[in-house]
Amino acid sequence: MKKRNSTFNRVFTFLVFLFLYAPILLLIVFSFNAGESSTVWQGFSFHWYRELFQDRLIMRSVYTTLLVSLLATIIATFAGTFAAIGFYSLRRRQRHLLTTVNNIPMMNADIVTGVAMCLFFVAFFSGWSSFATWVNGIQSVFELPTRLTLGFGTLLIAHISFNIPYVILSVSPKLRQMDKNLVDAAMDLGCTWFQAFWKVILPEIKPGIVSGALTAFTMSVDDFIISYFTAGSSSSTLAMTIYGMTKKRVTPEINAISTLLFITVLALLVITNIREARMEQLEQRRRDLPTATAAEAAKYSSPSSSRLPAMLGAGAAAALVICAIWVAGRNAGKPVVNVCSWGEYIDETLITQFEEETGIMVNYQTAESNEALYSLLKSGAGDYDVVVPSDYMISQLIEEDMLEELNYDNIPNFALVSDRFKNLPYDPDNRYTVPYAWGTIGIIYNADMVDEPITSWDAMFSTENAGNVLMFRNSRDAMATALLKLGYSLNTTDEAELREAKELLAQAKRDGVYQSFVMDEVYQKMEGGNAAISAYYAGDYLSMLDNTDEPLEFVVPEEGSNWFVDAMCVLKDAPHKEEAEAWINFIASTEANLANMDYIWYASPNEEALEQYPAYYEELYEEELDPEIYEIMAASQETLDRCQMYLVLPYETRSLYNKLWTELGI
Amino acid sequence: MSKELIRLRDVCMAFDDELVLDHLNLYFNDKEFLTLLGPSGCGKSTTLRIIGGFMTPTSGDVLFDGVRINDVPPYQRQINTVFQKYALFPHLNVFENIAFGLRMQRRPDPNDPTGKKLVKIPEEEIRQRVMEMLEVISLKGFEHRKPDALSGGQQQRVAIARALVNRPKVLLLDEPLAALDLKLRKDMQIELKRIQQQVGITFIYVTHDQEEALTMSDTIVVMDKGSIQQIGTPEDIYNEPKNAFVADFIGESNIIDGVMLRDNCVKMYGREFPCLDGGFEPNEPVDVVIRPEDIDIVPKEQGQLVGTVTSVTFKGMQYDIIVDFRGFKWLIQTTDHCPEGSRIGIKIDPDGIHIMKKSKYSGMFGDYSSFSEEYDELDDASLLDEEESEDET
Repeated sequence: MKKRNSTFNRVFTFLVFLFLYAPILLLIVFSFNAGESSTVWQGFSFHWYRELFQDRLIMRSVYTTLLVSLLATIIATFAGTFAAIGFYSLRRRQRHLLTTVNNIPMMNADIVTGVAMCLFFVAFFSGWSSFATWVNGIQSVFELPTRLTLGFGTLLIAHISFNIPYVILSVSPKLRQMDKNLVDAAMDLGCTWFQAFWKVILPEIKPGIVSGALTAFTMSVDDFIISYFTAGSSSSTLAMTIYGMTKKRVTPEINAISTLLFITVLALLVITNIREARMEQLEQRRRDLPTATAAEAAKYSSPSSSRLPAMLGAGAAAALVICAIWVAGRNAGKPVVNVCSWGEYIDETLITQFEEETGIMVNYQTAESNEALYSLLKSGAGDYDVVVPSDYMISQLIEEDMLEELNYDNIPNFALVSDRFKNLPYDPDNRYTVPYAWGTIGIIYNADMVDEPITSWDAMFSTENAGNVLMFRNSRDAMATALLKLGYSLNTTDEAELREAKELLAQAKRDGVYQSFVMDEVYQKMEGGNAAISAYYAGDYLSMLDNTDEPLEFVVPEEGSNWFVDAMCVLKDAPHKEEAEAWINFIASTEANLANMDYIWYASPNEEALEQYPAYYEELYEEELDPEIYEIMAASQETLDRCQMYLVLPYETRSLYNKLWTELGI
Repeated sequence: MSKELIRLRDVCMAFDDELVLDHLNLYFNDKEFLTLLGPSGCGKSTTLRIIGGFMTPTSGDVLFDGVRINDVPPYQRQINTVFQKYALFPHLNVFENIAFGLRMQRRPDPNDPTGKKLVKIPEEEIRQRVMEMLEVISLKGFEHRKPDALSGGQQQRVAIARALVNRPKVLLLDEPLAALDLKLRKDMQIELKRIQQQVGITFIYVTHDQEEALTMSDTIVVMDKGSIQQIGTPEDIYNEPKNAFVADFIGESNIIDGVMLRDNCVKMYGREFPCLDGGFEPNEPVDVVIRPEDIDIVPKEQGQLVGTVTSVTFKGMQYDIIVDFRGFKWLIQTTDHCPEGSRIGIKIDPDGIHIMKKSKYSGMFGDYSSFSEEYDELDDASLLDEEESEDET
């Protein structure tokens, strides 16, 4: 009986650890995968790590993360230590109250802290703006900046403020353990308060300060949510960059950086824990000591052993900070442009090229979806110059007067845009936008898993392939498939039609047609041959082809489909409008469009680029570009004629979408 | 005999409107061993902290050699302190602990004629003075140990050395022996007295332990509720307590209501007792103190009073017996065994009776009806420290 119990215990423990660590282990293993797949092992390689160190977006965010974490740790450790001493000298009731107040932010959900800080900063900035305007108005000795934005400063303030409680938490117990007469004793022996602090308090609470600093640093490196809301457009921490990258697909590069991040945090935790364990052991031994000999006593209490590493550590930290400040100083004052686009949606060499050519720094960030971008802009947290929303979102932004009219004199490359992509319904007079890329939605299917080629949206609703179909996990696209199948307009505002479409989806869902509702998980599922049919974007289909041996096909069904344009726009009152237009002009060039097309597999709106791409491809890869593939990438006008664009829907219809989507229960 | 060194003039101290010291007037002579004695919360530690400079009195003056020092910070006073639980610096070894004060000191440069330039004490002198101190406290060879590798008694001696090495004019000791066990405490009492005589400076000692106070002090100041109850030599305090509080706090006392009929005659229990006190109004109500050891047990027919034994406790050298005299219980210490329930007579010599004027403490002490509890209370008191005991946890 006992024996079986212990076996059971062991198995149970093993299972617990398996569940905890298997995903991380998998991630680490696949970070060394030679191939691009996250599911199929193709040999060992450091390829993705090499790639990582050449990725400027990642390297810059690593730098931002280290800088903000170090600065925040140093400042928070300083502030937290003195705060703890302040708490300590209070009477008990006040101290308890303050300790509770101190603990709340740690317990508080990060998302609440993040949103609250963001709101606070935005509110403060708007107050500041009126104040600065007033000050500038009444005197001319100095000029206050009227426009403050979220950025490195706010990110740092946020990190400092969420770190301070951790420092206080780890310093306070050390203070309480300290004999409260020590300070009096030191002052009695001739110290001023500050000398007493330096000579007596500090050595006593040092272990608490060090573990507080380590905890703070770990929390800073680790943090995503609070950074996400306070970093604004010009800074991006590593966690934010990873999050941005996963929006499109989990590349092995993400595995690699995640592995490094995991190991960094793990190392920090191990150091902290070992320190604590050693301290306790030391304390324990000292407590047992009175009977021990003097020699042993001397051994346990020797202070010299920890000096050198501590000094080295401090030196290294100082060097890093100085270095960081120097780099930051070098970059300060340079012209910048803040761009927000989608994940994996640009050939990053273009950014470097642009910076070298113009001397303008590019802060490149990514948003998750049009809707996410919209709420970011609305909240005031997204302080960008250039955004690249999709067609319907552009109309909405124009409607709400959130975009700035462009000065096309500064964007001569706009002339290269094919007439097909000018004056589109979202911007009829083409005053706000320069198209970035375009594409179609269609059905991706695995030829081995279906009986005959798919040609109609019926495939998304019929029980023939029940359990093997993947549907969009966003309301507009999912409803579009149903509306197309029913032969209604994609932009219908008719409640009956929309209800019918929703009912169609609901019925198929009840019938078990859908394996799941997905966005980027579609990659793994289709590449791994785990699903037969999926509605998705053409460009992503082409990316999949690169990574799989499955016979995947793409079709724009006979009923027609949606086609979309993502276009670059400048936000109202953007602080760097000139730089923004320079960026837009650069991206609109034929060379940039060719590079981008090759990288993202979405079609360019640039007439020359569209013509030259097959030749460009042939030169680059030394093989001919399959015309069928090219037709999928850059659909012919014929195909486009069968497709409709999304238009912005009236408010009531948008609410109805939300309501129906909720009813569908995905 | 010796000159006055410190004087407290009308000193009051209040925490949050609670008066802890109530118009205290007290002076301390040079080279004297003075003890502030009283129960927890009587204000003795506060008095010490005011002298040390860790607190500033709410009102009143602190004079040192005739100079007002209310606002002089601790590090500029020629006074050093030995703290409760020693407050040794855990990260420094014995040598560095003792040398701490010397390393902080700056004194005029002997080579500078203007005398304005301040220099550190040379390392050689520090070493010499610390080693001297180690000798005084008999801890030579321990200089490289950390405090937590020392026993309580050793730590105590280091704390004393750390203070004395600075050659202060006054050493303040705040219940320094409270954390030691009984045996060690007795040894340290003798040791402390020896050290005080050796270095020849003023010791101001705070304790709630009356035995400690009686053993070591030249002068005892008994305090309660922020005011001084009695100042005197140990003998004075024991033999001539001023009021019921002092009589009860110092040693064991039976305190009985009496009436002073005339000089040398007091009436208790309706009987006249001869005594040696005088100077009261005729028929003045008084408190009569009778020490438990001054009562002789005699056969009941020979007794001045007759009572019933209600409890007997064996104490080694003697029995503590509680005797009921018409509802009022006395403690009597005797070497004779009297069984519980027996009726005995007692006899008190005239020099065993001490008469006190009535005070606000009259009727509060001296009845042994709740004998055992009183001992418990004393034990508890030794575990508490004063005002800030709330901050201990």
